[in-house]
Amino acid sequence: MDVGTLAFSALYQFGDAFAFLVLSACGLAVIFGMMGVINLAHGEFIMCGAYVTVSAAHAGVPLPLAILIGALVSAAVGALVEILIIRHLYDRPLDTIVATWGLSLIFTQGTLIVLGSTMAGVGTPFGSFTVGDYSYSLYRLVLCGMAVVVIAGLYALFNWTRFGVMARATIQVPHMAAALGIDTRLVYSLTFALGAGLAGLAGGLYAPTMTLVPTMGTTFIMEAFVTVVVGGADVFLGTAPAAAILAVVKATMTSWYGQLAGQIGLLMAVIIVIRVLPRGISGFLLRERA
Amino acid sequence: MPMLQTLGLNKRFGGLHVTNNVDLTLQAGEVHCLIGPNGAGKSTLFRLILGEHLPSSGAILFGGEDITSLKPFQRIRRGMSVKFQVPGIFKALSVRQNLEIAMQHHYPPAVLGEEIDKLLAFLNLTADSTRLAGNLSHGQKQWLEIGMAVSLKPRLLLLDEPTAGMSPEETHATGEMVKRLNAQGMTVLAVEHDMAFVRQVAQQVTVLHLGKVFAQGSIDEIVANEDVAAIYLGQTTAHETAHEPAGGPHA
Amino acid sequence: MNALSRFFARLEGPQTLGRGPGFWIGFLIVLAGACAYPLFSDGYTVGNTVYFFTWIFMALGLSLIWGYGGALSFGQTAFFGIAGYAYGILTINFGAAYGFTFIALLFAVAIAALFAALLGYFLFFGRISGVFLGIVTLSVTLVLERFMAQTAGPEWKIGAARLNGFNGMSNMPPLTVPWPGGDIVLFPDVQLYYVVLGMLVLVYLGLRILVNSPFGNVLVAIRENPERAEMLGYDIRKYQLGTFVIGAALAGLSGVLYTSWGQYITPSSMGMTAAALPIVWVAVGGRSDLTTTLVGTITVLAVFQALTIHGSQYALVVMGIMLVLTVLLAPRGLIYALARLIARPFSKRQPGDA
Repeated sequence: MDVGTLAFSALYQFGDAFAFLVLSACGLAVIFGMMGVINLAHGEFIMCGAYVTVSAAHAGVPLPLAILIGALVSAAVGALVEILIIRHLYDRPLDTIVATWGLSLIFTQGTLIVLGSTMAGVGTPFGSFTVGDYSYSLYRLVLCGMAVVVIAGLYALFNWTRFGVMARATIQVPHMAAALGIDTRLVYSLTFALGAGLAGLAGGLYAPTMTLVPTMGTTFIMEAFVTVVVGGADVFLGTAPAAAILAVVKATMTSWYGQLAGQIGLLMAVIIVIRVLPRGISGFLLRERA
Repeated sequence: MPMLQTLGLNKRFGGLHVTNNVDLTLQAGEVHCLIGPNGAGKSTLFRLILGEHLPSSGAILFGGEDITSLKPFQRIRRGMSVKFQVPGIFKALSVRQNLEIAMQHHYPPAVLGEEIDKLLAFLNLTADSTRLAGNLSHGQKQWLEIGMAVSLKPRLLLLDEPTAGMSPEETHATGEMVKRLNAQGMTVLAVEHDMAFVRQVAQQVTVLHLGKVFAQGSIDEIVANEDVAAIYLGQTTAHETAHEPAGGPHA
Repeated sequence: MNALSRFFARLEGPQTLGRGPGFWIGFLIVLAGACAYPLFSDGYTVGNTVYFFTWIFMALGLSLIWGYGGALSFGQTAFFGIAGYAYGILTINFGAAYGFTFIALLFAVAIAALFAALLGYFLFFGRISGVFLGIVTLSVTLVLERFMAQTAGPEWKIGAARLNGFNGMSNMPPLTVPWPGGDIVLFPDVQLYYVVLGMLVLVYLGLRILVNSPFGNVLVAIRENPERAEMLGYDIRKYQLGTFVIGAALAGLSGVLYTSWGQYITPSSMGMTAAALPIVWVAVGGRSDLTTTLVGTITVLAVFQALTIHGSQYALVVMGIMLVLTVLLAPRGLIYALARLIARPFSKRQPGDA
């Protein structure tokens, strides 16, 4: 194998890992960064997006549209959860974790009861291509592109739209934002729905590549947790660079020793990072700038 | 040997120079007040002395020992103690439990109860000992916090705005407490806005302005100092205004 | 008599709900009932009750870490699993003769505690707290489960003990008491019941002494206001780490007893669902008190088992609903709220309970 194909292979591995980390984590990161809440039902929102996407695709909806529907349904469920539960717990972050874990149990087991232990999936679209002796999935490259699109889209949303400005104002000085006439409850609901929708999007995007089971959320959450812990509270200064760094660790470990080694590598990385940078990469960057 | 000495203490946050070459000396046994307009760097200096922030450069000596890089709890164990501006009491515990937690390692169990009773009497909190600390009045919370700080029998007591939000009567009572503690030999450093309190207790006063020591002396000297009056009225000199907007006058 | 009253004084304090002669008379009645219970039941049912008891140690440990110390850890099942596997590996290799199973128990608990000390060092000395502590401990637990699940191959063995991947280890000897005239093997039956009941009483009373000691005072102080606690001269990292390790050791004890009880341990005992259950028991019972945690754990387990007859999926949904409702309606726990309600008319208002 020549240097070019080797480099491509490494880049592909890295891109694949990066996309998975970004897409898994961004919904969790938006909710944590904006609201200080860790949503332990994050994996179940991903599952929800995947199930809805596949159901829509089975009903004849084209895949891109089906993925969008999956994301929207997750967002709607997220808004409902925020109104019914999360809203009442803002001054108790630890209790939010516990309550969302209860939700996670309900969603996982409820899906198992209603829809059974597995659901027929849809095939991975676009087929594959070869570089050198190896074949690669084209869809994985699409996912990689989507990860970049999601980060760019979030950046645009929070910096250039009215909602984004209101959301940032609410997060920084809640009582001031309220005094200026911003409906902070609505902002929190929308932010939570956005996070849930992003989780649903991740589920929809990865649905064609994996088996649909009610516990599929757990496949994503470890990566999502690790990325958010390493990244800290800021989506752009934290999640994206954390995903890039962790992708290197994960891709390297995975290609040498397999999938589990990749995960163990991630865990080691996070434990070392928290010892050195307790507030994550963004905490470190923001402190230096302050 | 001075009780506390800061040598050329600097703290920068990014480009902002919050304390600038501060040399402060506290002699053992004195009550020393730190005053200055908002943004003068008083709180930062306080946190540097406590070890909550580490200085960008400079050194802190406590009883002659260099404590610049020690953690907060290590400084406490060497005989420092602090009362925060916002009372850091344990709101869900009773007044008595609050003091118990503070004092349990300093007294044998046999005399602990007695010592707590003594301190409660000193703080005028005897009648409230079983109440939850969170239900005390604002002034009482401040006293409880002072009590927790005092209970460690520190050589140096640090008070961050001990009378903030107190009525004039409560302020006076607090001043009497500080004087009694001082009479027992405790060295006190207080950040304070209330000039009546400063007059009541201070033997030495340091005026901090824009991160620098602006004036130092006895309370009479400081009151007579026209430059000090000027900064409190916001009339700063040109090169200083360029550095940071001047703070306004204070109540 | 004086020594006895001094002993009782150490069991009581502001950090525990139950106190006074009334409580201790009730305690003795319940204990007597628990001792007499096997006389009125059959060996199989008694063995089943022991199964409940094995989990309580882990719940009490979590009450200490989370309820008293304020640090929400999802890592209890990880330490449970580590100790369970360690017990299996040790006893399969060295057998059960000469009381070795009890030495294995001690080693297994020590290994879990050591692992907790290592992890806790990074967490607490890195000043991780709040939500991050929860998700890092959960991540560790999940990765451990996945690691054990992929050990199916024959290369994964320690001495004579095969790890067996997802199917888990089985057929390790149960706890065995060396006895003149033949060892007593503690199968899930009346004898094991009394051994575990004895351990439970010891651990419960020991923890009561701990939380009402100066150590417990500092622990509660850290939960209420970590900065103030540090400014009283306490190195809060050491207190948090110590608590975490004690809690983990209790989870390890649960793991060993569980493994010995059923003679098997599988990776799913560390999975997402397994990790959620201790949280449910402790939260529903009332995490900030040892007694409500104990009563809550037994109650929830009993409800869970009753529901499992209709299918364990339904039981888990009910657990989830219970958890959400507890957090929303009775944040300090259902049993806790109930205990407060019952205790109110009998005692004058105690400070520090509100």
